[in-house]
Parts: sequence; structure tokens; C-alpha cells
Amino acid sequence: MCGIIGYVSTGQGGNDGDAEAGATGGGRALPVLVDGLRNLEYRGYDSAGVALVEDDAVSVFKQEGVIDDLDLPDEHAAACGVGHTRWSTHGKPTDANAHPHTDCTGDVAVVHNGIVENYDRLRADLEAAGHEFSSETDTEVVPHLLEAELASRREAATDGGRVDDDAETRNDDANSVAEDPETDGAGDAGAYRTAGASGAFGDVDLVAAVEAVVDRLAGSYAIAVTVAGRDEVVVARQDSPLVLGRGDGANFVASDVTAFVEHTRDVVYLEDGDVARVSADAVDVRNGGAWVERETKTVDWEAEAAEKGGYDHYMLKEIHEQPQALRQTLSGRVDAVAGDVDLDLDLPASVLEDVEEIQLVACGTSYHAGLYARRLLEEFADVRVSVEVASEYEFTGGRDPWDTLVVAVTQSGETADTLSAMRKAAKAGARTLAVTNTVGSTAAREADDALYIRAGPEIGVAATKTFAAQVTALSLLTVHVGRRRGTLTSERASHLLEHLRGLPGAVQQLLDASDRLEAVASEYVDEDAYFFVGRQLGAAVALEGALKLKEIAYVHAEGFPSGELKHGTLALVTEDTPVLTVLTDGARPGETLNNVKEVESRGAPVIGFSSHDAAANYLDVEIGIPDLGVLEPLVANVGLQLFAYHVANDLGRAIDKPRNLAKSVTVE
Amino acid sequence: MLAAGEGRRLEPLTNRRPKPMLSIAGQPLLEYVLEAIADAGIDEVVFVVGYARDRIRTHFGDGDDWGIDLEYVVQEKQLGTAHAIAQAENAVDDRFVVLNGDRIIEPSAITSVCDRLERDGGPVLTVTRSADPGAYGVVELDGDRVVDVTEKPREATSELVNAGVYGFERSVFDAIEATPADDAGERQVTDTLMAFVENGGVTAVRYGGLWEDVSHLWDVTRVTGHVLDRDGSTNDGTVAASAHLVDPVHVGAGTSVAANATVKRGCSLGENVTVGANAVLSNAVVLSDAVVADGAVVRDAVIAENAHVGANATVAGGEADVIVDGRLYGDVRLGAVVGDNATIGGGTTVAAGTVVGDEATVDAGSVVSGRVRSGSEVRRG
Repeated sequence: MCGIIGYVSTGQGGNDGDAEAGATGGGRALPVLVDGLRNLEYRGYDSAGVALVEDDAVSVFKQEGVIDDLDLPDEHAAACGVGHTRWSTHGKPTDANAHPHTDCTGDVAVVHNGIVENYDRLRADLEAAGHEFSSETDTEVVPHLLEAELASRREAATDGGRVDDDAETRNDDANSVAEDPETDGAGDAGAYRTAGASGAFGDVDLVAAVEAVVDRLAGSYAIAVTVAGRDEVVVARQDSPLVLGRGDGANFVASDVTAFVEHTRDVVYLEDGDVARVSADAVDVRNGGAWVERETKTVDWEAEAAEKGGYDHYMLKEIHEQPQALRQTLSGRVDAVAGDVDLDLDLPASVLEDVEEIQLVACGTSYHAGLYARRLLEEFADVRVSVEVASEYEFTGGRDPWDTLVVAVTQSGETADTLSAMRKAAKAGARTLAVTNTVGSTAAREADDALYIRAGPEIGVAATKTFAAQVTALSLLTVHVGRRRGTLTSERASHLLEHLRGLPGAVQQLLDASDRLEAVASEYVDEDAYFFVGRQLGAAVALEGALKLKEIAYVHAEGFPSGELKHGTLALVTEDTPVLTVLTDGARPGETLNNVKEVESRGAPVIGFSSHDAAANYLDVEIGIPDLGVLEPLVANVGLQLFAYHVANDLGRAIDKPRNLAKSVTVE
Repeated sequence: MLAAGEGRRLEPLTNRRPKPMLSIAGQPLLEYVLEAIADAGIDEVVFVVGYARDRIRTHFGDGDDWGIDLEYVVQEKQLGTAHAIAQAENAVDDRFVVLNGDRIIEPSAITSVCDRLERDGGPVLTVTRSADPGAYGVVELDGDRVVDVTEKPREATSELVNAGVYGFERSVFDAIEATPADDAGERQVTDTLMAFVENGGVTAVRYGGLWEDVSHLWDVTRVTGHVLDRDGSTNDGTVAASAHLVDPVHVGAGTSVAANATVKRGCSLGENVTVGANAVLSNAVVLSDAVVADGAVVRDAVIAENAHVGANATVAGGEADVIVDGRLYGDVRLGAVVGDNATIGGGTTVAAGTVVGDEATVDAGSVVSGRVRSGSEVRRG
């Protein structure tokens, strides 16, 4: 899991924010790359680096730690460069393992997101051929393969040439963290430069070389390559996200639009197998040995919304954004009068009529949204639903793929486990639907249909507003499916839709009580463990509440259906284990109340999120939930988010970047 | 930008949001002020926030939507306007403009202060002419020089009032330090200014543009009407073909207006609002997520966020005598205010001048008037 960025411009412009005066982004690569990496930090942040292209070298600055710790020059003239923020998969987070990686000559710099599965063998081959490696990463094989490829192509083009001489004269340490360009003699022509003073490389075409190299790679990758003296970035994509941004006199590449959307909203999403040359004024894409056209699209959300704006943490900001996010999820899709929705899906009614089973596949928080949606789909749309953790998914059990709809729920649309499950389903012949926050993401493009949750960008690693928006979008899907199948009456649908339209206001009502939750959190901050219980929809929310607390506060928390307490966990319940419980419509509050009495008699403090009048006498803390039918547990979840946030904040945790976790997990 | 105050005279609308976040034609008051600042060419703004500041931060974020570099400083306790300005001491440069976050002005008010500040230094005070000067700080001038400022005098000696746009230099922070607290223990910037006035150091710039102050509940519909007259209609919602909108109105995103409903000029509907069939809205402001059910009539009223006005309920509208903070305001146009999350049962009649608190519920078929306290329940007798 990593983030990559690249920038190449005409070099015109002052970087003083006056975009009118020159190339989009300001002309200089360094500030664009650094800002882009900050925006990509949610993809990983254990090490970072940039490579800046000079006439006769590539200057690399990289080290372990977050981008703001990176030791960089104040200014750098380069108009072309690449950057990387890393999340370790192969090799520890160290300075040497940070990207960009270079070849033996130091003229080729590569950043990479993904995993090169056959790197062991490639590395052995390269080492046998005399290449020296400086890191433990899988990535480093790429610059060395490219070095070899470029060398052989240049040799072929110049019929021999001075390649060997160059190899001898270039004895500076290519592994140095901050390479000093002064060590490259001015007259020292780089290994792949032809004698031409134009800076061109004669017949040695970098795109062709990259194509040849990626042919030898197995695994997943988004790669960006720069070479000394060349004002171009060549990129390749296979199973890892990569998007190009188009500006005036400058173009961008990145793992995610967030990295450069402050500069341009015109983007080109690359497909698997694409290799593209990005120069200051052109973007040329090849796939399968031929030049191809890729459509330019305009993204409409605001990267600036991704900045913290006065809040201490993105997570708290995003919790507070939920009413507006949910209004966006619903906007223009609901016809409460007719009891129907307009989701702009191609999904034919005939498919839905015949569907025997809907399978929801997802990971983490999205999985919990799936658990919530399963109850709604079964109750309102009267269709059989199973929910699977994506990494466990197989298409088996005698299911008929033609009568199965597989719904992949993934905020980023890039979650590797979920993509892999979706592909298994597609391979078996099942119809697929992606429910995602990210337009143009891999999941959205690969699935037969996409339903966007429209929550806006989410930066905090702990998902908050996207959970609410996922459940909301899946509720709309419930109405869609139920109405198409004829299993949901317009009257029931209308009622559910009225509740959905009441959701933003109800969530705001809970947010208005956030001071109270802050006080409750500080009262119960130092406890041995926390148990979250509820039934039905409340059980899904209990799992999600426990996950939030675990991931940001690093305390032991467990969520489960409240009926399961007496089958084991009750043994752990003491005076020092607060129990948080959902006592609302859709969560069988009366039955859960019996479980509350069980834990209360063992002295555990009980914090209830309740719309159930009879509950008050049994709760140490009662947080009122407004009447909203089956969506009440979703409103209660906002209270659990605030509780987790304030416990973590009181404990001084790195809330937006919890240890060991990354925002979207693009490795299996 | 002073945006820390609560605005108690506007209860119950300010029970959950600060006064600058009152919505006028689909956007908060504060956003109009910020737009004026951006149009005046200023791109660095410090918000002094306090009461219910989450609402402000969530809406404005880092200011990029307005092309402004936005910073927040917190005034934990509302100890007066001078105290609020002092909170920004470390966030401002040599010269700066101070504005109120709850008054709609035009960019020229800001540019003229900036020009004067550049030329003559500070402090600079903006004055405007008011029909009701006794409600504000009345300013007496000698040429451009301010000779006196009197807060809310019984007899106004001049129609010029303090428009609440100031230009200062850093020297003001020392003056604030020396400003005595008033009877309520607060330090007001008008008192700080008096120290400069006595030395003849305050100059005034005159301003004749739009100056809309929302002091009372009935100002919300009035100012909304003015802004809609100026800016025209916007419609981002879903309106049934047989529904009737009379320009200018504002209809926010995700809002639906059902068949045969009529929304007359000067109305504003926020986002995700539901207006039922045959409902009639006139001079009404309906905030986001609220519902005005089938057949309801809502006139001269503010229906706050997520409030529910039941089917065939009638807010009759018109003028009434309203008491605010112990003072009687006679014949003000206020049909009703229905607070956030409040519910008005179907068929209820709401007399003119009624203020229903937030989270209050009124049983179906009731007749209500006067003040209904927040969270209370009105049962049909």
C-alpha cells in the first residue's frame, strides 16, 4: 500500500500560486510532489521520497518517516519528477527501502505501488549480471531491469557505443539518500544518452523499454519512471490504481486524484496493461502493443474538502460532515411520494426478478455496512442475502451464478481483497455491482454496475461518514431491488424512504450532543475492556463500534450480538468493562434489555444508545436516539464513533494515522 | 471575523448554532460576509469562533471554496468583542480589518476601510445611516474624524451608526489590554475605540450599501426576502410539474416539492426539505431536513432543521406583539418559529408570534401561541 505521484511541466511559472502566469502547478516539480504526497499520506506514511530530474542526473531525496520529516532543498529547478509515500510490504521502513529506487548508474528513478511477485528470481538474475542492489524491496528490480533494457537498446541503436566506459566512470554512490548532483561530472554523458545535445535519447524509447520490462513482472503494480535529462514520466499500471491529470503546460500522475486535484480536475484513468508517456504537453497511452485513446473525465469533488479546516483530526471533521454527506447520498435519488428510487443503474429489472441470492462482499467497516444492509434487504426486499468477508470469499455452495448478484462494498474501490472476491464472482459468471465512494476506481470500472455513495473524500483511516453513506446507499438499493422484484410495496418503501430522508437531521441531533459523549468518554477512558452489544441491526453497529475503538484507541473492544453474552463473554464482564449497547428500533431493545440486566448485576457500567422508554432505569448513561425506525441503529453508530474518537483523543492516540493501519488496503 | 457569539435574542434558532450560521436563502450569514471579503481582494481570514464552533468549521473547512486561507482561533468564553479580537493577536499582521460575522455587507465597505488604513493608519470605523439609530452605536463626526460613539442612546443625536467594520493596526492590542471591563465583565471594542476617539485618532469611512442585520427572529424572513430580491432564484431540488414556485425563491439540493404545492416569493427551502402536496408557503424559511406535510400552510415563519409541520397544520402568519428578553416588540411580522427537531402535529393551528422551542412536540389538532419551551410537549386540552 503506497502512494505515488509524478509531475512534468514546461518549467514555466513561478510557483507563487499565480497559475495564470505559467504551467499548471507552477512549473517546478518539488512543491507539487510534496503537496501531492501530503494528500496521499492516507495511503501509507512510514517512509517517503522524491526524485527530481536534472540534465545529467536524477536527484533523489528519501527517508524513513512522514513526508514532513523529509530533508529537502528549499528550492529545486527541476520541472519533472516523481514522489512516493510508502507502506511497507517487502522490507522494513528504512531510508534505503524508501522509494524512489534507482539503478546502478543513478540515472533511472522508479516509484512503485504494488507487489512484484517474481522479484526473487529477477533479482538473482540481475545480481548475476553484475547489478548491485541497495535495498530489500521488490521494487528495486524495476530500475535495474530498465537499466539493462535501456543499455541493450542503446547498444543496438548506436552499434556498441560507450556503455562500458560509462559504467566505469560512474562510480558515485547511487544509493546515497540525497545524491549530490555535483558529483556527476559535467562532461559525463549518462549511460543512455546519445551524443545529441538536445537531451533526446536517440532511438532509445523509454516507453518501449518500460513495456519490455513490465512484460517480465508478475504481480500488481503502478509504476512511474523518470530518467536523467528527460522531461517525461513513463508510467505503467497492472492491478494498482493510477490516474493521470491534465493541465496547461503540465501533466500529473498519481495513485489517486486527491494528490493533484487542487491543480486540475481533468483526469484520465488508466486501465490494466496500460503504459503511458506523460510529458508537459501530451499524454500518450499504449496497451497491448498499440497506441490507444483513453477518455478524459472531469472529477467534481473538492480536494480542499479533504483538508482539516479547524478540526484537530480528519476523523472528527468527517464525523461532523455526516449530515451533509448523507444529504448528498440521497440527493435526487428519492421519490418518497411514489415509494421508489432512481439510482441510475443499468441493472435490468429482469435480472433482479430472477435473483435467488444477493452476496455482499466487503472488508472491515464496509463488511459491517454489509451486515446492516443484509437485514434490510431480507426484510424489505424479501431476497436471500449472504455477507462474506472478501478475503474468505469463494464462489461455491452450488450457487447458480446466473441467479446470483454479487455486491462489492468498498469505500476506495481499490481494496485488494474485495477486488479479488469480485473477480472470482465475475469469473464464475455472476453479475457484479460495486458500491463505492470513488468514481473511476478499479471496483467501479470492473463491476457490471456501480452505485456511488457520494460521501466526499475521507482521509481519516478510521471510516466514519462512509459507513453511514454506505448503509444509506444500500438502503436505497434495498428499495430498488424490492420494487423491481415486486416484493416491496410502495407504501412500505415510502415509509423507509421517509426515514432515510430523516437521517441527516437525526444524525445532526446526535452531533449536537457531542459534548455529552466527550464527557462520557473521559469518564470511561481507563477501563480494562469494552463490550459492544446489540441485536439484529444493532449487532452490526456493535461490531462497527468495537472496531472503531480498537483501531484508533488501541484498547480491547469486542462487539457481538447481545444474545451471545451468556454463551461465553459474560465471564469477562466486570466492574471495569463498560458495556455499550444499542436499544433502538431494529435492534430488539426489549430482549437486549434482559442482557443489559445480566451485565448490570455483575457491576459493569452500561452506556445505552436508546429510543426504548423502558431502558432508562437500567443504564448508567443514556444517550437518546430520535425516532427513525430501522435507521435508529445507524444514528446510534454516530454516538459510538464520537465515543471512540474521544477515548482515543484522551489517550493521545494518532487518530488519523493509527499504528500499523493504512486507509485502503491494496494488498491481499 | 468575529463569529464566537451565541445570539441569545434569536433563541431557539441559536440553541444549536451560532448566530453567524443562521441560514439566509440557503447559505449562512457568515458566508455572505466571507464572500464580500473575498470580493474585496482579501485572501487571509481569521475566524474567532466560540459557541457551537463545530458548525462553523464543518461548513467552511479551510476556506478553499472561497479562495481564502482560513484560520480559526477560539474564544473559549464570550467576554466581549474586544476580548474576541485579542484572541487573534498571534494570527494577524501589522494591519487588519475586523468585521462581524452576522451582518451582510458589500465588498466596498471593506475596500474603503483598507484604503483608509493604508493612507492614514488606524483605527478606522465604518459608519452607515440607519432608520433606527437608537438600536446601534450612534456615531458623531467632525469631518472624517469620530468625536463620539454612544451605544444605544435613548435619543439619537445622529442617524449615523457604527457599521461594525473596523480597520486596526497592532497598537489596538495594547489598547484592548487597557480597556476596562463593563458591568457584565466583558470588554467591548467600542470601549477600546473610545480611548482612541478621545485622542482624536479614529477616522470614519462612510458606507451606503447593503447592511443587513439579523437581530431578531423576524429579521430572518425579512433579510431572506431582500437577499432573494438581489440574487434571484435558485432551484436545485425536485419540483412536481403541478407545483407552483413564484420567483424569487431558493430551493436547495435534494429538496422535493410535491404536487400542487405553492411556494411564494421570498421563500427559502434548505437541502433535503420535503414539501407535501397542496402545501402553501409564503414568506417562509424552511431549513434543511425539515418536513412541511401535505396541505400545511406556513406563512411568515421559520421552520428550523429537521422540524416537522404536520398535515393541514396552519401557521396563520401576520403581525404580532413579541416579547424578547423582557422587551415588547409591537406588530412585528412573525407567523411562527418552529425550532430544530420540533414536531407540530397535523391540523394544529399556530397563532401569529408563536415560538416553538427545539425538540418540542405539539399534539395533533392543538392551538398554540406564545412561547413553547424547548423539549416540552404540548397536549391537546
